[in-house]
Amino acid sequence: MRKSITVLLAVAALALPIADATAATRGTTKKIVVSKRFAGSAASVDRWGSLQVTIVVRKTTTITGTKKKVTRKITAVSVPTYPNHTDRSIYINQTALPILKAEALRAQSASINMVSGATDSSDAFAQSLQSAILKAKKS
Amino acid sequence: MTVGVRKLPGIRRVEQIMGLPVVVDVRDDDEAGSVLDHLFDWLRWVDATFSTFKEDSEISRINRGGLHREDAHPDVRQVLERCDRLRDETDGYFDMRAPGGSIDPAGLVKGWAIDRAAAILDDAGLHNYAVSGGGDMRVLGRAIPDLTWRVGIQHPLERHEVAAVVETTDLAIATSGAYARGDHVWNPPSGRAPRGILSVTIVGPELGTADAYATAAFAMGPERAPHWTARLLGYEAMTILADETVFKTGGFPDE
Repeated sequence: MRKSITVLLAVAALALPIADATAATRGTTKKIVVSKRFAGSAASVDRWGSLQVTIVVRKTTTITGTKKKVTRKITAVSVPTYPNHTDRSIYINQTALPILKAEALRAQSASINMVSGATDSSDAFAQSLQSAILKAKKS
Repeated sequence: MTVGVRKLPGIRRVEQIMGLPVVVDVRDDDEAGSVLDHLFDWLRWVDATFSTFKEDSEISRINRGGLHREDAHPDVRQVLERCDRLRDETDGYFDMRAPGGSIDPAGLVKGWAIDRAAAILDDAGLHNYAVSGGGDMRVLGRAIPDLTWRVGIQHPLERHEVAAVVETTDLAIATSGAYARGDHVWNPPSGRAPRGILSVTIVGPELGTADAYATAAFAMGPERAPHWTARLLGYEAMTILADETVFKTGGFPDE
């Protein structure tokens, strides 16, 4: 996860100078990054009780000359309160604050040994396993 | 790094059991053939004992009323009790009871059987292996001495790509998805496959529990699943929604 964020930032950093190449002659580019936590209102979740969500938003302000561009991205979602309807959820609510991280779905062709996924047929799985084993042999 | 195409250490065997290809891939250099014979004999016993497709299985006999739960084999009682607890832990989303009152613990049996298979390999002194059934697995040790196991989480939309890679030396990994075998994942309140969610992957110490949690979270659908998984003890999750948002719990161990 940490790595994927690093990669995203690296990509953004690389893309910026190209996008701002013409503006750069008129002035310097300034980038301000602020992360803020926002708590949602406690919402009722039918029979499960009430639930409150907190998100962390990363706001990036890019100033090039007189132009200002603001982008916002949700970097974390957490649930500080959770229905106390079972012993288990009470216990869990007393333990550490859980964190959920949101990101966009990516596809990658990685070198792997095995594949975890729901199989639609035995053949597909066997083939995928076979190819994973072959990849492992070559890696 | 180039290892080159060389013979892998250990031994591999695949057999169709419980309607799934079960793969045992041992990477220790020890002679493990007789252990695998014992392991697959045991898996075939599990199939014969738990399958609802076999008329003389203990589960079929329980469903016909010819066998009381209390008189069943200790392993059957253990699995059914765990199914009952999992129903509570998952707020009813993991449920072995079919409409009509019969039971089918298949949602736990596969992962439980693979956990036991891993224990058989442990007892035989093996330290580097993967045991997998239909895309859910236990892995231990290293694939080859230079490399830890790298498990790809299948991309739900692009079949030949992966959405994440987990590198591990000891883990159970289970994925439930909409692209699964027909509609084997079933949402109890609506009776239909849930919309808006593509897959849930759960990792942790036990495959039986991870698989049941993945099944339950998937059935919960896109609103509840990410938050429910964030509260699991000892298990981490990755949920992929239909809008291509990926939610990972804080400790999900992908690279």
